[in-house]
Amino acid sequence: MRTFRVVTALAGTGLIGYGVYGLLHDSYITDPLDVLVWLFGGLLIHDGLWVPVLCALGAGFVRGPVLRGWLIVAAAVTAVALPPLLRDGRNNGNASLLPLPYLRNWLLALAVTAVAAAVTALVSRTRRRG
Amino acid sequence: MRPKPEAPPNAGAVRPTPGELAEPQTTIRVSRDVDFPLSLLPQSLRRGPFREDAFTSVLHEPRTTVVVGRWLGAALVVCFMTGLLSHVLQQPPTWLRDHLPSRPVNGYRVTQGLHVISGIAAIPLLGAKLWAVYPRLFGHKLLGDSHDPRLRKSKLFEWPPVRSVLHALERLGIAVLVSTMLLELFIGLLNILEWYPWPFPFRQTHFWLAWVATGGLLVHVAAKGPMIAQHWRRGSVPGLRQRRAFLGAVTVAAVAVTATTAGQTVPWLRRLTLFAPRRPDLGELGLPVTRTAAQANTTVTPPDWRLRIDGPRPYELTMDQLLALPQSESRLPIACVEGWSASAHWSGVRLRDLLARAGAPPTARVRVTSLEANGPYRVMEMPAAFAQDPLTLLALRVNGRVLTADHGYPARIIAPNRPGVLQTKWVARLEVI
Repeated sequence: MRTFRVVTALAGTGLIGYGVYGLLHDSYITDPLDVLVWLFGGLLIHDGLWVPVLCALGAGFVRGPVLRGWLIVAAAVTAVALPPLLRDGRNNGNASLLPLPYLRNWLLALAVTAVAAAVTALVSRTRRRG
Repeated sequence: MRPKPEAPPNAGAVRPTPGELAEPQTTIRVSRDVDFPLSLLPQSLRRGPFREDAFTSVLHEPRTTVVVGRWLGAALVVCFMTGLLSHVLQQPPTWLRDHLPSRPVNGYRVTQGLHVISGIAAIPLLGAKLWAVYPRLFGHKLLGDSHDPRLRKSKLFEWPPVRSVLHALERLGIAVLVSTMLLELFIGLLNILEWYPWPFPFRQTHFWLAWVATGGLLVHVAAKGPMIAQHWRRGSVPGLRQRRAFLGAVTVAAVAVTATTAGQTVPWLRRLTLFAPRRPDLGELGLPVTRTAAQANTTVTPPDWRLRIDGPRPYELTMDQLLALPQSESRLPIACVEGWSASAHWSGVRLRDLLARAGAPPTARVRVTSLEANGPYRVMEMPAAFAQDPLTLLALRVNGRVLTADHGYPARIIAPNRPGVLQTKWVARLEVI
């Protein structure tokens, strides 16, 4: 285990060093500080805003494993649906880019997963009683 | 050996004024991996996320993080390896250039499809993982983190937040890993719909940050090695109803985002495509495009267009002369770096026949120049293995119709196992090199 950890840590440090060196010396990346700002900003939004809200909602309002599970699925679906939703219609004059009705699809996905969750809840309740 | 704290357990009940230390620190012998009971944290800091009961879920515990971490780790490794491969295929280093194979035909289609699929699947996995370990950010020890069963039930804090150089490096490493992962998935997700709201170039940044993120992952695995090993097996800790429900929901979430986007490359998932930025059957002549003729400024072909082939015996061909040559058919996919791919029936002249007529030896590479005035892929070089492949065409028709401007009229390259950006459209010149 010790050898594995040392080798992995060294390899990881090497990869990080290579990536940082490349980032700083790439002629296309004129201002690496921009990247740093976005890295830090992402961390701040995720850890300082998104997860606290999630924890507060989860602890305060969400009851039961099925509702919790559906919210996890809904959050994942929304994360993937949001970019096309926000960009709807902006396709750089390319009709084959973003060709789907994303708002309808998003609502459809939420509805289908909600129905599935409701059925799961019903089935488990019936089983517990039976 | 963990020193047993000598502080009375109800010390917190006596509320000192903020700023005052709750306990005389002198009773503690500070060693490198002391874990302090919460009551020893300065009272002034025992607020908000630093409260003992700030995080109520029982799932902030090692077994959950190890299970989700395994899936996430697997997704990241697939994503990194396929991304690296794509980078090499797009800009092969000289020593590798002539060893790249033109088969399997669907090679790049599969690897780049996997790149985007694993990246999208990693979004819910990363979310779940970061939520599970979130209390660590504020120094909470995860329940069950302790090897000492007497301490397992009590919530412990790491205090001070940085206890040694090694510990500082580990925490910095976590920050590097988390921030690069978040940014990589974010810019990757937006890149597939050609949305670039950030001030830095996508491809180079995505490439270099991938090394940093993967390095961070390795360091993380090294740092957590014993903990991961301890919780690797199912029976390592008692089963937990909430854990099963959580892991089930995270699995469903990962499957859901995959199933509703992967249809952009996986034919049998096409009908489930809800959120992919492209669908392989939607586009002119039943085929999507990445770069339009309007974007490349090639909507109108010059009336005196001729294909020029430079080599030992240079020559030129008009469209009529090209059409009079023996036409071949290939069923080949366009596989784009954005992760979509679509198979099509192409017909045109075999590239190797055109090159042979110019007197090119079979080991020659070919440089292809497009009509477009600028664009990073205006000039493309093709290794001999691809140029000599019988499936590689200078295509004039697709799916039974003459190419449209968006698909590269008057002529385009189509070759097996190549990134879409190297399937040059609006070809003006072939050059034997």
